[in-house]
Amino acid sequence: MQGKNIQSRKWLHLLLNEAGIGLIFVVLCGLFAAFVPNFASLNNISNIFTQISINTVISTGMTFVILLGGIDLSVGSVLSLCTILAGMTITNKALPFPFALVGAVGASILCGMICGFFNGFVAEKWKVHSFVVTLGMLNIARGAALQISGSRTIFSFPAAFNAFGTMAVGGVPVIFVMAVTGVSLGHFVLKKTVFGRMIYAIGNNEEAVRLCGHNTRKYKISAFVLCGACVGVAAVMYMLRLNIASPILGAGFELSAIAAVVIGGTSMSGGKGSLVGTLIGAAIIGVLNNGLLLIGMKDFARQMVTGLIIVAAVVLDTYRVRLSRLFS
Amino acid sequence: MKKFLLCALVVSLLCVSTSSLAAEKKPVVGLVMKSLANEFFKTMEEGARKFAAEDGTFELIPVGMNSETDIDTQINAVENFITQKVDMIVLAPADSVGLVPSVKKAVDAGIAVVNFDVTLDKKAIADNGLPEDFLFVGPDNTLGSELVGKYLAEKLGKKAKVIIIEGNPGADNAKQRKEGFMKVVDAYELDLLESTTAHWETEEANTVMTNLLTKYPDVQGVMCANDSMALGVVKAIEAAGKIDKIAVVGFDNIEACQALIKEGKMLATVDQFGPEMAANAIKVGFRILKGEKVSGWEKTPVEVVSKETLR
Amino acid sequence: MDKIASPRLLQIDNVTKTFPGVKALLSVNLEVRRGSVHALLGENGAGKSTLVKIVGGGYLPDPGGSMTFDGAPYAPSSPYDAIIAGVRVVHQELNLLPYLSVAENIFLDSLPRRGPFVDYRKLYSETGLLLSRVGLDLNPASPVELLSVAQMQLVEIAKAISTSCKLLILDEPTASLSSRDAERLFGIVRALRDQGLTTIYISHHLKEIYEIADCLSILRNGEMVTTRPVSGTSIPQIVSAMVGRQLDSEYPVGKTPASRETIMEVRNLRFDGNKYPVSFSLKKGEILGIAGLIGSKRTETVRAIFGADRKKSGEVFIGGKKVDIRSPADAVEAGLSLLTEDRKGQGLVLDMTLANNVTLAAPDKVSRAGVIDMKAERLSARRLSAELDIKTPSVDQLVRNLSGGNQQKVVLAKWLFKDANILIFDEPTRGIDVGAKYEIYLLLWTLLEKGKGILIVSSDLNELMGICHRILVFSDGKITADLERGDFDQERILSYAYQNYID
Repeated sequence: MQGKNIQSRKWLHLLLNEAGIGLIFVVLCGLFAAFVPNFASLNNISNIFTQISINTVISTGMTFVILLGGIDLSVGSVLSLCTILAGMTITNKALPFPFALVGAVGASILCGMICGFFNGFVAEKWKVHSFVVTLGMLNIARGAALQISGSRTIFSFPAAFNAFGTMAVGGVPVIFVMAVTGVSLGHFVLKKTVFGRMIYAIGNNEEAVRLCGHNTRKYKISAFVLCGACVGVAAVMYMLRLNIASPILGAGFELSAIAAVVIGGTSMSGGKGSLVGTLIGAAIIGVLNNGLLLIGMKDFARQMVTGLIIVAAVVLDTYRVRLSRLFS
Repeated sequence: MKKFLLCALVVSLLCVSTSSLAAEKKPVVGLVMKSLANEFFKTMEEGARKFAAEDGTFELIPVGMNSETDIDTQINAVENFITQKVDMIVLAPADSVGLVPSVKKAVDAGIAVVNFDVTLDKKAIADNGLPEDFLFVGPDNTLGSELVGKYLAEKLGKKAKVIIIEGNPGADNAKQRKEGFMKVVDAYELDLLESTTAHWETEEANTVMTNLLTKYPDVQGVMCANDSMALGVVKAIEAAGKIDKIAVVGFDNIEACQALIKEGKMLATVDQFGPEMAANAIKVGFRILKGEKVSGWEKTPVEVVSKETLR
Repeated sequence: MDKIASPRLLQIDNVTKTFPGVKALLSVNLEVRRGSVHALLGENGAGKSTLVKIVGGGYLPDPGGSMTFDGAPYAPSSPYDAIIAGVRVVHQELNLLPYLSVAENIFLDSLPRRGPFVDYRKLYSETGLLLSRVGLDLNPASPVELLSVAQMQLVEIAKAISTSCKLLILDEPTASLSSRDAERLFGIVRALRDQGLTTIYISHHLKEIYEIADCLSILRNGEMVTTRPVSGTSIPQIVSAMVGRQLDSEYPVGKTPASRETIMEVRNLRFDGNKYPVSFSLKKGEILGIAGLIGSKRTETVRAIFGADRKKSGEVFIGGKKVDIRSPADAVEAGLSLLTEDRKGQGLVLDMTLANNVTLAAPDKVSRAGVIDMKAERLSARRLSAELDIKTPSVDQLVRNLSGGNQQKVVLAKWLFKDANILIFDEPTRGIDVGAKYEIYLLLWTLLEKGKGILIVSSDLNELMGICHRILVFSDGKITADLERGDFDQERILSYAYQNYID
């Protein structure tokens, strides 16, 4: 038949569906590269990579939760708590370095997972909206971080640890490599595994999945645990990047993560979205922070422009969805 | 959360007041702090507690907030202290205007009020019928930043290229610290490349500094409005491999920065003797209770901390 | 007949609607006479819904065609435009807000006010008038969630006629009504017609057409086949016009008798809201029907068996072994499957592909170590699509874009893929056209040959009598009769169905 026509339609659909936001990203980068000296320099690009890494990993976890129609407001506080536990472990003089390192990473991820489990379990067991539970967790984790640390910043990590954080693999910062690895793993899980399939299905129609004989509760709690694990990893990345652990860090991280997910085209009501989008969403935020400062825009103007572009990206996205429907 | 804090406050007040009644009726001092999440205020509160324990002649009731901008909790705390008829309220206002009416109420109720850390707004004081030279005990933020700025400028010489990393726009101490830095910029004819906020935050300061280094690779000095931001700035410079070329100063003298100064990665910071500040305010308060007339600005010391002054 | 001669209210000329890859309507012409009840017939996917959406402002037609309404050119670009012009559509899926009162629902767009406040006295009195026009005796202040489906349907109609409505479009209004409620609805449609209202009536129940319609139009594959007066048109004529071929009978007669082997037995099942324990058994190779009035707890019973809702007590035996079913997961494990009445809401993931839906109940069958083999998945989906004759361009098609009959087949394919032994259908053919219904009946019989047991809840008595080996009659939660095929009799079943309501 009109095989060629169908094929080109399919490509157009794919482009609009998956790469629509990427187009916006490319245009943005093009504009900055054209008008801002040094924007396209290798050094600056590497800086941007470093700057978006933490948000990318948090957003990866957040994407799973939002795909299920939930939300996790506690990521910033939990991240702070994770750094405190990991920081206390790694600076513990009684532990030889390799053990301290493994212990710190383990403590961070485990702490994130436990907080995530709490969020998911309470939300599912008592049918409380995750907005409320995680708002509670936001306070719980912050309080715990302050309590445990005596509200003090932890520093003086082992030199090898700090040195690893500034390393680059072929010009690419090591923490960005970690972030990309995380996103890729997440993408694989979402698109290729039964677990990912169930996340999408539950986000679209939980009752149908339940009546198919699946334990939807298990999947939903798992998504929160996974999000917590991502936060634990992000906490280690934070420590690699800034070499401190502090009970006051991470305030507002949840908003950057949600912004990245939403700009990336994931629907807040669940069921639709992808990690490719989330990665691009995080990149857009990072590029804006960087480019607008390099242009020489002042604080308040920068804040307003960033806000406007977030809204514009999401509005444009609705047109993209309409267009891609036409070609589906 | 606020409600919870309030309940806890009321309960603790009840316990304290009954126990103090049973005892020999020591004077009661209510201490209203800013965010205890901030290391600086935390040490300040601990200093006050230590002073109270050592002194032993008065009862101290400290109250802290969740965040630096939590005005409601502070107002509630002051009003509760009024109801409880404490003898003295020592207040570090989260908002220099919003707290003035509550202060007026406390003064009218015959309570000695000592304003410390951040000064109350002059106009608001006048509007609420309080004396214009209402007592303030606190460090001179402007002087502190000017001192540390001078220390930096002396090191770099005239016309050096510098960047200022500001605190939260709108916060009084952020304004004052910037003012002090600006005095130095004028006095030494420094080339101010950029002055921008990082909202007191380490990660944001790191991002901002990294990006500014791309724009201004030849910057020589950075003045940060607090030490948390200085941490991020130093890290950014370190990552860019310019730690020997760029000098950084901060403000607050937190432990993590002391370590950086010792290592030579950071030039200096300002100590405003936080642990003693609340204690000093309480001491001034007792002078009032004894009948002395104290007004105007009782300055507490500020001091530059550098490699030489650190043990 | 004078109704047909009266001047036309709506005229549609040469309207075409194309969706990507599909021509939904092909130069359709239609004239609707003022004051008539005009039936719109056609198989699912024939274009009825598209046409209704165009008239109701939901879709824009392709350029080229035109419409006139009430003597003026008519091109609504939104449902709001249509309402302003006097066209109201009552959809099959009801759009009421459950927690608001009847009155608030009806006047949601135009609440009467006194100053900034809602004038409740006026609201309730006007609602009372409207409710009496549709023959409802309800407190205007009662919340909609307490109403039966039939009452909600009538509230929707009341809402539609609350504004100056000239053309009322009813899309499958009787799909969820019992026959008694349907009768009542016909009376109301007739009464409204006598008051001068024009109605376009869409239904799969051909018998209803004879009760209320003056004219009928038949769509087939997006084309208007015929428009003619109802009198003088026979059911076989309609059916052959709809399907384009002759159907021997509405129901395929089963050839195989049920075996004697019991595949499932339910003993003393109790659940909240029902006073009576329920016990029955299902045999291998048997189609067991459950008849009863709407609200006689048939759906609740099958949901309790399946573990979809909590049960209080009772035992379920599968193949002679007692199984403890506490959740759908347990039920599926035991070989049960439930094909719910609400396909879109509970049976399918509409925004996923056909292939994804087919494997939804058993993704492990096409995956290794938790990783899905997409190729194997598509192959399985293709095999089942072919087996069930699902009409779709590809297995990558979103289920949302399939017709109702094909969607139902996808649900069935899902359970066949899971290899469920006991299939419980709740209203399997609701909203499905004659041709697709027939295919589904045929499928049921082929399933029996594979040794499955089938339990069917249906409000269509003819359907049950046409395809079942045995029928259980529910009356207010109690099984009042267990009839073998030889004893099927409409009147008798109905009297059993009412039995428990009489005292």
